[in-house]
Amino acid sequence: MFLATKELKYTKAKFALIIAVIVLVSYLVYFLTSLAYGLASSYTNAVEKWEADEIIITVESNDSMMMSYLSQADFDDVNTDGSKAKLGLFPAVINNPLSTNLLDSRIDVYFFGIEDSFLMPNEVKNLTLSGNKVVVDEELQKEGYKIGDSFGVTGSDATYEIIGFSSKTTYQTAPVVYMSLSTWQEYRYGTNNTPDLFSGIIVQGSTSSLPTKLLTYTTEDYIATLPGYSAQVLTFSTMIVFLIIIVAFVLGIFIYVLTIQKTSMFGVMKAQGISNGYIAGSVIVQTFILVLIGIIIGLILTIITGIFLGDVIPFAINYLFYIVITAAFFLFALFGAMFSVRAVLKIDPLRAIGG
Amino acid sequence: MKVLIEMNNVSKDFLQGDNVINALKTTNFKAYEGELIAIVGPSGSGKSTFLTILGGLQKPTTGKVLLNGEPFSELEIKEKSKIRLEKIGFILQASNLIPFLTVREQMVLYNKINKSKVQNEWIDDLFNKLGIDKLANKYPNELSGGERQRVAIAKALYHQPNVIFADEPTASLDTKKAYDVVKLLAKETKEQNKATIMVTHDERMLEFCDRVYVIVDGILSERK
Repeated sequence: MFLATKELKYTKAKFALIIAVIVLVSYLVYFLTSLAYGLASSYTNAVEKWEADEIIITVESNDSMMMSYLSQADFDDVNTDGSKAKLGLFPAVINNPLSTNLLDSRIDVYFFGIEDSFLMPNEVKNLTLSGNKVVVDEELQKEGYKIGDSFGVTGSDATYEIIGFSSKTTYQTAPVVYMSLSTWQEYRYGTNNTPDLFSGIIVQGSTSSLPTKLLTYTTEDYIATLPGYSAQVLTFSTMIVFLIIIVAFVLGIFIYVLTIQKTSMFGVMKAQGISNGYIAGSVIVQTFILVLIGIIIGLILTIITGIFLGDVIPFAINYLFYIVITAAFFLFALFGAMFSVRAVLKIDPLRAIGG
Repeated sequence: MKVLIEMNNVSKDFLQGDNVINALKTTNFKAYEGELIAIVGPSGSGKSTFLTILGGLQKPTTGKVLLNGEPFSELEIKEKSKIRLEKIGFILQASNLIPFLTVREQMVLYNKINKSKVQNEWIDDLFNKLGIDKLANKYPNELSGGERQRVAIAKALYHQPNVIFADEPTASLDTKKAYDVVKLLAKETKEQNKATIMVTHDERMLEFCDRVYVIVDGILSERK
């Protein structure tokens, strides 16, 4: 510790450079993580909210709930030890009839048709969905909608009245509009001879028997089928993993070069009887101090960015991810420092005594 | 008088390609407490080999080195390095100071490694004696060559070793400063009952030494 910190203090400029690199990379990594998590959450928030154990749609739909058609008979055939609920799912484009430019007020949303069930978000449990009365995601509040406001919908004359706002209810990045299942059916199939069909069955508990035409998914499996979701998560995680590996190498090379520069000094120290362990230890401690300072600054920058940009970009902090990434930084940095430790062990104290 | 370090029938062979080079012929050597011994000889004569074997930095091919009457050359590398840290002081040609530690911290480093208490009074005492008390908070690159060697002496003395090895301590110093350094070394050796072994090829310094050994082609002999 003594040697490590004294050297850091003495050659501040040199170490400030490497800290700057760590700050930038760690900032990028934490920021990307928050962005990736935010984006992923905006895909799945509404699904996670169900706290479902199983999600059932038809085999024919080919993983697409919107193309799944289920009837009351199908619902009755699903046997579960817990509770089950019907869900109607279809995208819609809403507009604000009061706006001066109707086209500018268009917003992509998902209509969720539900009955009085656990699918109703907790924060609006006390409200009753019926007729054109709907609950919408708080995103619409940011767009200027208030309770009591109405909106129209592309391709229909119907208008809907907002009676409440739910939070963290987005599906495939679009805000969700909760309505009664019968209202949803009228939107989906028209008001003439409206068929009693819906899209999926959401189950809390486990199912004991299932008609062969139906397929059950865990929440996790279901989310993986959402278009673009897996590709996006994979892209982000690949970037993050590679950035961490790159910073390990940059750090490793930097520390290695510094160590090589100090070969003769370390040789003298070894000749004086200072152990390999002490010298290698101070190299590792130095690496850790650099990483620690770097990632603390990186984290602070990330949090500040989140505060200022949180409304504009899907930025969400997940402390578990932060902890895992921070641990990975330290682990890989240690790996980088190992080159230097090896170099230290190889230094021959004989070199200290000139011929 | 007590023998602090001795070589019994030590020799050193090197293998260079297929040739065996006899860098140090069978040598016997004793250093007593309070003695400043000079080792002189042309370069390549085996001075370094002699000093590095004595200091436990390499193993003799035959024979033994005893430190305070106890076996030293046969110990494990780790043990030897521990003993070097505690019982031996080094003053090296290129000054063995660490560039990013102040003069005072050069001493304190020993305590940090050893996890022992810093001997503040002893540092003050030592610095006064060596005339470097005003330099305590300076870094090595702020010191002159002579000052640096005096600090190196302080460092070699600080942990109160039995034996001090000085490898060309006066190289790169002008005559006056070189005299000062060697005189100081001689004085401290006497006062603190150390054995100091100084490798030099500076003949001017020999007048301060108690004994002078010459080493030529690996053969060590005392100059009378």
